Amino acid sequence: MPEVSTGDFVVPGDLLATAEEFVPGNGAYEEDGKIYAANAGVVLVDARTKHISVFSRGAGVPTLKRGDIIIGKIEEVRDQNATVVIGALRGREDRALPPPNVGLIHISQTDAGYVKDLSREFRVGDIVRAKVINANREPVLLSTVGDDLGVIVAFCSRCRSPLVRQGKKLVCESCGNVESRKMANDYRKGVL
Amino acid sequence: MEKPEKLIVDGRRLDGRAPDELRPLKIKAGVLERADGSAYVELGNNKVFAAVYGPREMHPRHDQQPDAAVLRCRYSMAPFSVEDRKKPGPDRRSMEISKVTKEALEPVLFLELYPRSVIDVFIEVLQADAGTRTAGINAAAVALADAGVPMRDLVSSVAVGKVEDTIVLDLIKEEDQFGTTDMPVAIIPRKKAITLLQMDGHFTKEEFKQALDLAFRGCEKIYEVQRQALKEKYAIKESG
Repeated sequence: MPEVSTGDFVVPGDLLATAEEFVPGNGAYEEDGKIYAANAGVVLVDARTKHISVFSRGAGVPTLKRGDIIIGKIEEVRDQNATVVIGALRGREDRALPPPNVGLIHISQTDAGYVKDLSREFRVGDIVRAKVINANREPVLLSTVGDDLGVIVAFCSRCRSPLVRQGKKLVCESCGNVESRKMANDYRKGVL
Repeated sequence: MEKPEKLIVDGRRLDGRAPDELRPLKIKAGVLERADGSAYVELGNNKVFAAVYGPREMHPRHDQQPDAAVLRCRYSMAPFSVEDRKKPGPDRRSMEISKVTKEALEPVLFLELYPRSVIDVFIEVLQADAGTRTAGINAAAVALADAGVPMRDLVSSVAVGKVEDTIVLDLIKEEDQFGTTDMPVAIIPRKKAITLLQMDGHFTKEEFKQALDLAFRGCEKIYEVQRQALKEKYAIKESG
């Protein structure tokens, strides 16, 4: 029998169960054959999978997982890949994301169709919304395939002022430069 | 500060406490809006805030550790926290306390989970009456748990000392200043492991054993209050 039952409140260091009976899940750790709480929160005992976990209601350190939506800034654009510094995780904007906070968008994961030139889709300094497709790699693999994903703010590559959307093109109001991007459908609507 | 004629009269201390009695202790978790985790501790006339930020990417980058997070502690006293105005900013004393606080908390953290990150702990003393480093450690431990940083255990801390040949728990300013010995102790309650032990003054071997035993009992009481603070924070979230 575990030392605690589902719904009990525990703080770090509380004994949950012995390691022979259970596997430590989220917010739990094993030491000297015993399982202890690593977070303050409520215990969840899963008798079927033999996992014992501690949940601290929404709080805790943010971590990336597959399917998460992130906001980031393009740091570098190469032939095949664009590098993104991840600034915020949707739903956890309250807190900084600890490393690994660098992502990579491969040219094949940029848009639904064929992309010939990645520098026509992203430029350094652009703010993008992307989806995590593999969080176990470093850099994290990202994708902007989808109408709601892509650049949400772009800057003129000549004068750095924000670009304005005109149909499928982006126009710079200060120098007249015309550029293109893989835009999200709410480009410059102020929505994260 | 005038030296009182006697620090202990009929087994009672200046503030009426027994030698093995703690000052009134109040701990609240999650008091600061913008911090990732925070706590407020009142121990007698000590008033201390602790704020935790992170784990987050560490700057400057040359201080990053490729395989683990770094714990960065800053203990600081407000200029109005003591009788004579304290010059603001880090000084020799607060740098030392920051260092020992970091070393007192490090053993309970899973730093290896967050490579290249930093966990920042800020301890601000608003009002001081001896034992601020122990109050700061107690606050920081609760703040870290409140931030959801994975921990092996909490850390509880208290000072013991010798005043007029009596071993006493949780010294006040007069006892610290005019007593013989002041010894702050921090422990990991479950393992009964010591993570901080400093001593100003002297003990005989017997006195030391007695004092350490008293510190452990004091820490256990503090640990219970720390637990309660975290539980209350959780209950508030549940209803809100």
